[in-house]
Amino acid sequence: MGVKIDRRPIWLLLALKGLRTFFFIAIFAAFLYVVWMPLPDGLTPEGKNAIAIFLLCLVFWVSNIIPLAVTSILAMVLVPLLGVMPRDVVYGLFGNEAVFFILGAFILAGAVMHSGLSNRIALAIMERSGNSPKGLLLRIYLLAAILSCFMSEHAVAAMLFPIVFEIAKGLELRPGKSGYGKLLFLSLAWGCIIGGIATFLGGARVPLAVGILKETTGATIGFFEYSVAVMPIAVIMLAIGYFVLTRSFKCEITSVAKAHAVLEKRIHAMGKVTYNEYAVGAVLILTIIAWIIWGHSRGLATIALFSVVVLFILKLVRWKDIEEYVNWGIILMYGGAIILGTALEQSGAAYWLADRLVGGWITGPLLAVAFFSFLTLLFTIGISNAAVIAILLPVAIGLTSSFGMNPTVVAYAIAVPAGLAFCLPMSTPANAIIVASNYISVRDMAKIGIIMSLCAWIVFNLVARYYWPLVGIQF
Amino acid sequence: MVDKVYIDNPGALKIDLMLRGIRLDGALEGHGLFKGRAGNGVDIILPNDALVNVPCGDEYTLASPYLLHSSGKHYTITAPKDGRGVPVKVVKPPSFYSEYTTTGKAFSDIATLHGSYSAITPKPVCELFNENAECRYCAGGFDKVDANPVIYTVDEVLETAEAILKEGTSDIIYLSMGYSDCDDGGIEFLAPYIVAIKKHFRCLVAVEALPPKSNKWIDETYGLGADSVLYNLELFDKELFETICPGLAKTIGRNRYIEALKYAATLFPNGTVASHLIVGLEPPGSTRQGIDMLTSMGVVPILPIYRPQPGRALRIEPLTTEIIIPVYRHLYKAVKENEINMLWVRDISVVTTPSEGRALIGEESKGLTSLYEQFYKTKLGAKTAWGLSTLRRKLRVKDTKGLVDSSKN
Repeated sequence: MGVKIDRRPIWLLLALKGLRTFFFIAIFAAFLYVVWMPLPDGLTPEGKNAIAIFLLCLVFWVSNIIPLAVTSILAMVLVPLLGVMPRDVVYGLFGNEAVFFILGAFILAGAVMHSGLSNRIALAIMERSGNSPKGLLLRIYLLAAILSCFMSEHAVAAMLFPIVFEIAKGLELRPGKSGYGKLLFLSLAWGCIIGGIATFLGGARVPLAVGILKETTGATIGFFEYSVAVMPIAVIMLAIGYFVLTRSFKCEITSVAKAHAVLEKRIHAMGKVTYNEYAVGAVLILTIIAWIIWGHSRGLATIALFSVVVLFILKLVRWKDIEEYVNWGIILMYGGAIILGTALEQSGAAYWLADRLVGGWITGPLLAVAFFSFLTLLFTIGISNAAVIAILLPVAIGLTSSFGMNPTVVAYAIAVPAGLAFCLPMSTPANAIIVASNYISVRDMAKIGIIMSLCAWIVFNLVARYYWPLVGIQF
Repeated sequence: MVDKVYIDNPGALKIDLMLRGIRLDGALEGHGLFKGRAGNGVDIILPNDALVNVPCGDEYTLASPYLLHSSGKHYTITAPKDGRGVPVKVVKPPSFYSEYTTTGKAFSDIATLHGSYSAITPKPVCELFNENAECRYCAGGFDKVDANPVIYTVDEVLETAEAILKEGTSDIIYLSMGYSDCDDGGIEFLAPYIVAIKKHFRCLVAVEALPPKSNKWIDETYGLGADSVLYNLELFDKELFETICPGLAKTIGRNRYIEALKYAATLFPNGTVASHLIVGLEPPGSTRQGIDMLTSMGVVPILPIYRPQPGRALRIEPLTTEIIIPVYRHLYKAVKENEINMLWVRDISVVTTPSEGRALIGEESKGLTSLYEQFYKTKLGAKTAWGLSTLRRKLRVKDTKGLVDSSKN
């Protein structure tokens, strides 16, 4: 049985149903108004249409009224239809390197998870934590962060969640009441979030930002170069996160000895390390080395896809096995976002928009970084981080050209904070997953999430101001 | 007093005809329309368009004061001793009664036409007969104690429903079942039939089931596609209920019937939750109390008239029409006062519906009420009722993932 009856008055239910239709009619009417309105000064007809499509997608991405990927498909359809760019160029952009890098990263992460390697590493590290509650907490936190450097933070959260949940049950922690229960799940989510910003692999955000950057300006960011720039932010945030965590909720237990029984049982069930685990691990390590050495010259996507082919040649995975790990919706979404970003840039709409919106008062690179990083942190609380990048980055890149700023810097200023979503379950899947445990409430999460978001903004700007020039990133 | 006739009042005449039956004019006895009518009766449309299934051919009907005779294609019911008569129409048996499913089963075995609805009982078995705990008056034909009872398949029921709806006489499929020892009141068994009918036809579905142990199953019944639900209490008097329906009293209990009806009335549309109270099994005062309680909860009481059944041990002298009429008047008033929609329970040949009770107090339907009544009898009206009911369900039912597996049976 599972029927749920909505007992609100019928007139209200009808009105709510009608609201969606009304919303679409109103949005499309506004869209047509922008398309048919007189041409503003300094804007080309293509630019005006690009802005109309951008605003339409902005509303759909923010409201999530249709899936993000479908909004991207709409952008792909409208850009050639309204003559912003020719259709062969539009569909050609979908073949962007970033899209194929994301595809390769999904398959590699899928292989690692399917082989059981990630699970084994996680269990082994946690099992060695001793009996101290803080020790176990730190292990989960760091483990989530480290794993998120090598695979999607969402996947890490999903993989570690059942283990942490079993530990919480094994320790007889009361859902919603136990302070240590809250700490366990928050350490999992925050570890994933912070670790996820450290490399290209933590999420598809950075490849998306790099894709938009490359298509619009020709500039790019390498795998190693990115990690060198962002690692200090991740390390400092991990330290701040641990400090905030351990002072937010009271730990009511003195030993986690019972958790070891749970972990040992799981490790025992996995048996010996298999050939597949060794081989997949070796392919992943070699891939990362290749990204660091040849990422610039050969391309990240080329290396990722080559590794995928190797996985299949060695029969380490079957297509059927990895299909469930490949999020085609995200790939479509990213393809569409890159097309829209390019359309805004090439039509001159991005520059026009940035100039009209913030051009008057953002007068220097430092202010631009501070403003866009703050706006990104604010947006990412309620909007998918990929959507935030798709919305803000083209406009921000448009602004940089007005005072000769390095566009790579704004790519960092948006791509990195977009991943630092601590406040709400809808901000990122890692948060949504831990709320589902019932150990942590949305209120608990939001209360300390705001502190973390504020810290993230300060740390990001300090690192950008004082550290980046030392590693050659000039504003 | 017994020979009093009600030729002038169609409302009272319907009751009297159901109670006393009718005799056939000598010329009609060999007529194809009336052959083998014993047990099924003949469907007649009275002057106020009220449909009535009149017993004929049974022994007690030979003493009926009413006589049906014809002149060409015109039929008249007369009361010979009184000398008066009224023109009526005789409804031909539906043509699907003489047809068969592809598996060779007679449609007439699977379905029975009762006017605006056709009743289908996919599993015509009541397990209470096995324990000698059945309802003592039972006339449902469920007394087939068999280790391998006939169960009509979903496909057979679908074929039957198609034949019924093609015929166009009734637009409601009424699914029912006998007692079965289960927590869900029989819904899990009926689910595939409800889902299949709803999937293939644009018709309304009424479900007669037993009150389930949990209200979740009532939600499920609505979610599956039932537009109307009946939990038949049969008797309001607690002690008589325990005596006459010992099995139901012991396994379900009167209180659960009342709770389930009350809950269903908050979920289903106004006027679509109903319960039988059999007139004549208990004192009329008790039936009136039952009417008051059910209508106060938003439940439509349906009042079939008790007649002793051949072969059943229970033999209570039937009430007279004169005693019964005030009960139906009370029914109409109670339903009206509680603002219960009377459009759903209408045009049923085997009972006097609440709206037909209007004729008993000399009221006539007029204005919007009359317009609605006429409209919902048309094809467009039936489609509208289906559309509104479907829309309501789409708005109300939020999650159908957990619906019982409709692939069973």
